[in-house]
Amino acid sequence: MKRALTILLSNPLSVVGLTLVTFVVLTALLADFISPYPEHAGAVVDFLNANKPPSAEYWLGTDVVGRDQLSRIFYAYRVSLGLGVVVLAIAVPIGVTVGLVAGYLGGWADYVLMRITDVFLSIPPLVLALAIMGLLEPTLLNGMIAVTAMWWPWYARLVYNITRAQKVEGYVLAAEVIGAGKLHIIFREILPNCMPSIITKMTLDFGFVILIAASLSFLGLGVQAPTPDLGSMVSEGTRYLPDSWWLTVFPGIAILIAVFGFNLIGDVLREVLDPDL
Amino acid sequence: MNSILSVLARRLATTTLVLFGVSVLIFLIARIIPGDPARIALGPRATPEQVERMRETLHLNEPLVTQYFYFLSDLLRGDLGISLYTNRPVMTDIAQFLPATLELVLLAGIFMVAIGLPLGALAARHRGGWPDNIIRVLTLMTVSAPSFVWAVILVLLFSYYLPLFPIAGRIHETIMIPPVTGFMLIDTILAGSWDGFWSALHHLILPAFALSLSGIGQAARLTRSNMVEVYDQPYIEMAQSYGFPEDRIARKYAFKPSLIPSLTIIGLDFAALLGNAFLVETIFAWPGISRYGVGVILQKDLNAIVGTVMIISATFLIANIIVDLLVAYINPRIRYAERSK
Amino acid sequence: MSADLALSIRNLALSFKSWSGTSQVLHGIDLEIKRGERVALVGESGSGKSVTARIILGTLHELKSARISGEVWVAGREMSSLSQSERQALRGTDISMIFQDPTTALNPVYTIRQQFHEVLMRGDPKISLSTAEQRSADILREVSITDTERVLESYPFQLSGGMNQRVMIGMALINEPQLLLADEPGTALDVTVQAQTLRLMRDLVRQHGTSVLFISHNLGVVREFADRIYVIYKGRIVETGPAASIFDDPRHAYTKALLAAIPRLTGGGIPEIQEDSEAFFDPMVTHEDVSA
Repeated sequence: MKRALTILLSNPLSVVGLTLVTFVVLTALLADFISPYPEHAGAVVDFLNANKPPSAEYWLGTDVVGRDQLSRIFYAYRVSLGLGVVVLAIAVPIGVTVGLVAGYLGGWADYVLMRITDVFLSIPPLVLALAIMGLLEPTLLNGMIAVTAMWWPWYARLVYNITRAQKVEGYVLAAEVIGAGKLHIIFREILPNCMPSIITKMTLDFGFVILIAASLSFLGLGVQAPTPDLGSMVSEGTRYLPDSWWLTVFPGIAILIAVFGFNLIGDVLREVLDPDL
Repeated sequence: MNSILSVLARRLATTTLVLFGVSVLIFLIARIIPGDPARIALGPRATPEQVERMRETLHLNEPLVTQYFYFLSDLLRGDLGISLYTNRPVMTDIAQFLPATLELVLLAGIFMVAIGLPLGALAARHRGGWPDNIIRVLTLMTVSAPSFVWAVILVLLFSYYLPLFPIAGRIHETIMIPPVTGFMLIDTILAGSWDGFWSALHHLILPAFALSLSGIGQAARLTRSNMVEVYDQPYIEMAQSYGFPEDRIARKYAFKPSLIPSLTIIGLDFAALLGNAFLVETIFAWPGISRYGVGVILQKDLNAIVGTVMIISATFLIANIIVDLLVAYINPRIRYAERSK
Repeated sequence: MSADLALSIRNLALSFKSWSGTSQVLHGIDLEIKRGERVALVGESGSGKSVTARIILGTLHELKSARISGEVWVAGREMSSLSQSERQALRGTDISMIFQDPTTALNPVYTIRQQFHEVLMRGDPKISLSTAEQRSADILREVSITDTERVLESYPFQLSGGMNQRVMIGMALINEPQLLLADEPGTALDVTVQAQTLRLMRDLVRQHGTSVLFISHNLGVVREFADRIYVIYKGRIVETGPAASIFDDPRHAYTKALLAAIPRLTGGGIPEIQEDSEAFFDPMVTHEDVSA
């Protein structure tokens, strides 16, 4: 952990990334205190100030019912980050376990688990998520299920490949010789060796979960109104192009800032920890 | 060439297996959802008798496994059922909407390869130098925003402020082209209309570019990292020891071997293009599979959802087979597998 | 530099600068190769022998972190005084190099024919395909490859290691360089094949009158090959003299240790020197060159 931090602080790219991510996280956490109009996070209407271009009063302009865009973006960050945490917290353990078990046990466990993984990987991720959302209900919870379902196979693949390589390393053989149990070997010996790759991928993926969640709600299949969400904001705004450009451009840039921040950090981590990722 | 055929045979076999798996997966998702598919199909005002008759027609009263085999045999006959949304066979709907999406995705794929690979190679050639750093930041940015954000920005810049490209649609509204293949570029040629062809291309460029941007970034980053790895190989030092110019080494010695691992992943990125087409089509009012797909999802049109997912997965898998064949063609180890013992 | 020298190194020092400090790799070495002479530079890995080859080749000069001082004269030119493109012009024409593992050093996605053509174009950019074909086949026959047609159309992975080694030797000599650098040639091959190809290489360079700097960690391997030997230890030359004289009468403690470490079968395994000794830092020993 300390080594990772030293690496991140010594590279200008990751310093920019850390700054962006810190900004996004802080605005999400402190949205109640720093938003100019905290009440605009909900279903408020203020038609007198509807569709106003950016001004000193409304830095990023207002939407078609007169809500402050800056405030809504801060609250939308809260939703995006929460979604990212939940999705990864579920998808990563599932994927990692599948990869470890398939890779270490081999045989039929390998065959069955990895073929299932292949099936998930052979449906374009967004399409899989759309199908799940469509067959269930387009709600935030189902959105998370959909995104989780498309995410775990990537971890299964990654961990599977590492496990296969580590399985024949001396330290695993040594543990086997002294009669350590399979569970011990999988989780105590092999898993720690997968951690740098997993953490790096998680950093990169945090950005991509935000991106996919925004894409789903852009299609009207994710976070539902009145909860502020970056994807739905862009989607709403496209109806008012080109005149009310701020309705689409600012939420779009907000997505870019958050995802770019995580990607910068992940990219630097990858370079140092796992160039093969 | 025989070994390329064997690659093809092997890939077709695994693809069939995977498609079978996809059909099981989709079937299961479609059956475990809460609610009675017959009730959903008939709507809330149907009588219990009607629902029961529908359950009978849909084989819903039989065991899950039997239901699956009915589903599979329909699927194999190319029968995806009737869409509730359009009241037409799902196959007909898809045949109408998919070509527009494929046209978009194919041009985006060409952009991805034609711009992404050289960009990555340039970065690798100057690894650690300023072109590398600039390309790294730029490509990281293109992958950091969803394609609909790029689409919005590109439309604002190049359609509204600088009116270089049309705002929406596939072809100028005054040009009428009889649909034959559904691919506008091909249909215009078949109709002998060069104006139509240029208009269709003109309409296609901006959406395809918006769609390709993140793919370009992915492809460039992948090419760079694989090529940097190749630069550590002894045969690069050997090439340097013969004093070949660095640009020539980059092109002939480092780039080509790096393509072998890159292309496989680029096949996967093609999947992302198919999915992202949903996002870009909305912005450009592109009459592709996206509008239909989102429509059927919001209508909970089971047959259409299942059919769309199956067809898109199949398209994606076919694209991957093509990529695998390309890789086999570039990699002499596979091409001449038989001659080396 | 006098005209009968193919290579002359004067007080060559090399250090690498990194953010953790500077590390000194070569501490001022002197080395000479006369025209047509075969000289071996012998030392353990990390002794600085491989970087010396890269300095002679001029590729290390391109590395920003490398600090090089002293003089390296090749073909009448001093490497440090040349521009990057002038150094590049010398490579593949006046100097060429043979690498440790022939199978990984040849490009996996081109045929041997294409690779020969590339190398021949360094000597004559406008060379015709038929001439290139002719000359490639000629040099292959010189390295005792008879089915030249099959070898030329093969990819490296289709040939055995020994075959690739001969191809690489042929490639290195085809433009008639003045100086050939051989970095642990054949170490990746099995012992008998290595011995065979080294004999072949010795006969060839003798016929062509090529000067050779042979770099090895194994004194046993160079015994038959070299006229003269330099023994290098931690960036310093510790002993030098005619090969026979070094073998018959090793005087430096490190040379003695190296000789003692030669395995029975020439070339087999990596000789291990048990531990560093203070005596390894004794001053350099120079044997009288009886032939001079």
